[in-house]
Amino acid sequence: MAEERRYLPLQSTRSLGRTIQRYYLFTRYQHLWGRPLKRPLAWITSGAPVEILRALGIHPVYPENYGAICGSRRVAPELCRVAEAAGYSQDLCSYARAGIGAILRPDLAPMGGLPRPDLLVACNNICGTVLKWYEVLARRFDIPLFIIDTPFVGGELEPHAVSYVQDQLRELIAGLERPTGRRLELTKLQRRLDLSNEAVRLWGEIRGLCRTRPSPLNTPDLFIHMAPIVVLRGTAQAVAHYRRLYDEVRERVRTGQAAVPGERFRLLWDNIAIWYQLFRFYHQFSEHGACFVTDTYTGGWAAELAPGDPLESLARTYTAIFLNRSVAFRVRQMVDLIHDYEVDGFVMHANRSCKPYSLVQEEIRHRVMNETGVPGLMVEADMADSRVYAAEQVRNRVQVFLEALEVRG
Amino acid sequence: MTVTGTSPLATLREIAAAGATAWPRLFPGSRPFGYFCSYWPEELVLSLGWEPLRLLPAAATVVPARLPAQSCFPAQACLAAAEAKEYDFLAGVGFAHTCDTSQCLAGIWPHRNALAFVGPVTLTAPGAIAYCTAELDHLWHRLARLAGAQPDERELRRAIVLLNRIRSLAGRLDEMRGGLPSPLVAAVLRAGQLMPRAVYAAELEAAWPELAAMADPDHGRFPLLISGSLVESDGLYTALEELGARVVADDTCTGYRHFAGLVDELAEPLAGLAGRLAARIPCPCRHAHLEARPDYLLELARRRGARGAVLVTRKYCDPHTWDAVAVSEKLRLAGIPVLVLEMETVDPGGSERTRLQAFLECLSDYD
Repeated sequence: MAEERRYLPLQSTRSLGRTIQRYYLFTRYQHLWGRPLKRPLAWITSGAPVEILRALGIHPVYPENYGAICGSRRVAPELCRVAEAAGYSQDLCSYARAGIGAILRPDLAPMGGLPRPDLLVACNNICGTVLKWYEVLARRFDIPLFIIDTPFVGGELEPHAVSYVQDQLRELIAGLERPTGRRLELTKLQRRLDLSNEAVRLWGEIRGLCRTRPSPLNTPDLFIHMAPIVVLRGTAQAVAHYRRLYDEVRERVRTGQAAVPGERFRLLWDNIAIWYQLFRFYHQFSEHGACFVTDTYTGGWAAELAPGDPLESLARTYTAIFLNRSVAFRVRQMVDLIHDYEVDGFVMHANRSCKPYSLVQEEIRHRVMNETGVPGLMVEADMADSRVYAAEQVRNRVQVFLEALEVRG
Repeated sequence: MTVTGTSPLATLREIAAAGATAWPRLFPGSRPFGYFCSYWPEELVLSLGWEPLRLLPAAATVVPARLPAQSCFPAQACLAAAEAKEYDFLAGVGFAHTCDTSQCLAGIWPHRNALAFVGPVTLTAPGAIAYCTAELDHLWHRLARLAGAQPDERELRRAIVLLNRIRSLAGRLDEMRGGLPSPLVAAVLRAGQLMPRAVYAAELEAAWPELAAMADPDHGRFPLLISGSLVESDGLYTALEELGARVVADDTCTGYRHFAGLVDELAEPLAGLAGRLAARIPCPCRHAHLEARPDYLLELARRRGARGAVLVTRKYCDPHTWDAVAVSEKLRLAGIPVLVLEMETVDPGGSERTRLQAFLECLSDYD
């Protein structure tokens, strides 16, 4: 694996490893500390308003992050096969299938699987799949399922949609107060929102530093370092990590260090990572001096919570995330990134597992190319299930794309 | 109407077979407004002088490049038809937020007047009815702007009464389905989504004596429940009848589920529409409570005496594919054998027919 990585490694990655290891250790032994302290364990979707859970002392665990771990450790296909044998089609989301496989066969799963949850929180702002996936989990574990329905935003976010989400957040709070035996204190919620915002601000600034030429980071760095903004959102640990990372990246900028030595092409990535190919895939680019200076996926966690009433702020922010927005919004987002980061080309991962991300990509590619004149490549794969990855086909397409960039100069 | 069958029933079957794109030929002079999902509020369209027309996939000859391979056939076929300008006769197209694919299809739809209705997904959520009512109002005003008309409550009430009449007739037909050939019932219900609604109501009422005369409760066929999303042609129903089965319970999106539930005519109209949407038999894209769908399907199967169930999942249709596992388990535990039949289109090919045949043979042995 080390040989596959041909770009400058970050010192912060070591401390990141320790931070995430601590989080999963804490999670693994939650049954020892959680019950006496009345701190239940919740499985939660990556786009759910976790600040409410944290303010109530609930320990959040992210099956999607676990799916990415299964993907990067290359055990997802085996776990997916277990789920498929139980009736779940191979066409369904590979994070979900790997997660279900890990429940059915913990002996095959990293860390022996995730610990059994006490409750589930699903927010459909990222896809409709999470609703079905969490229904399966609720049946399996026979535990409460809280759903936050965030209406799709076709144009502007309408007041009646914000009000609807706020109503649901109030019900979520009431529902979570029961198992914890605590009342939600607004000061605690505000503290969590402030911590979220601080981490988000730092994450945004770190991403912003990649506007520099040469870029101090390559997108695989962002994929690795996004873990705390997801699983430790609303905590001091996340803030501490991003302060360390920010300092290191800023130092790279000051000294002119490039993530990809001899940076020649600046690229944009669209969609979730191909976790099982994280270094091998990007190596095809970095060996030609092509650096992914920005992406749409990790930017999904760079939206700050608006000031004002906390519930309204949460409702607005979590409803308006980019995967819950129109094609026009996503085109504008990519065009802006291309201009801001002086991008020479973009690569879209047509991800078999993620329909909301992937089904509109060809349209977005077409419109973005028309508007910017920047070429875009589509690569077909899956985020976790390597069985659908055709390495040779991908290599050929990447090669042709890089040659086209060479010709453009 | 330019179609004139030998009887009202023949007329309805002819319209069902012709499909959505035959509208300009069959109903010249009327103004159709296309829609995809049965959660689309047809009443709003009717109240503004348009006719709602359900867009069902025809056999696609071209795969549109703008959708990747992991898109379901209905999305691909409808987009191909739109790109081929086969829907240019429509005043507009309405999308109700249902699955991820339909949401994406709305985003790339080539027609200029594409409107979205984003109803609540969690039907029992606090504020869901109020939100749905506000969203309906928002949609009604956008539709009115498009129509160059003013929203008119009296027209909306008239539309509600008409559609309630149709839903009541569809409900009666659904109750009779055990005695009628399955492809016939499927076609008659589908016609109700493909023709002017007042004409449909009149034709269906006129067809009633013929339907009543045909009904034969002692058909001697194997009683089945069928559940799935769109079933846009009669092929599957025909195959089941040929194999000796009878669909006595139907939970398809183009079948009875499309018509189920009445709008409260005494309520404020938009609140009445929202109330119906919330109380409808849930489709897999909605959440009422965890066991709402499995419980409903088990109850339906028992009420209609179904002794087996075919769950039709379209390739790449996530919501139905997810639900198939829980629904199968619930039915099997209750002693109702289940076949999960994955299909690309709904006209069974050799392999699907073989699976159906094997399933039915097993059921006969099981009996």
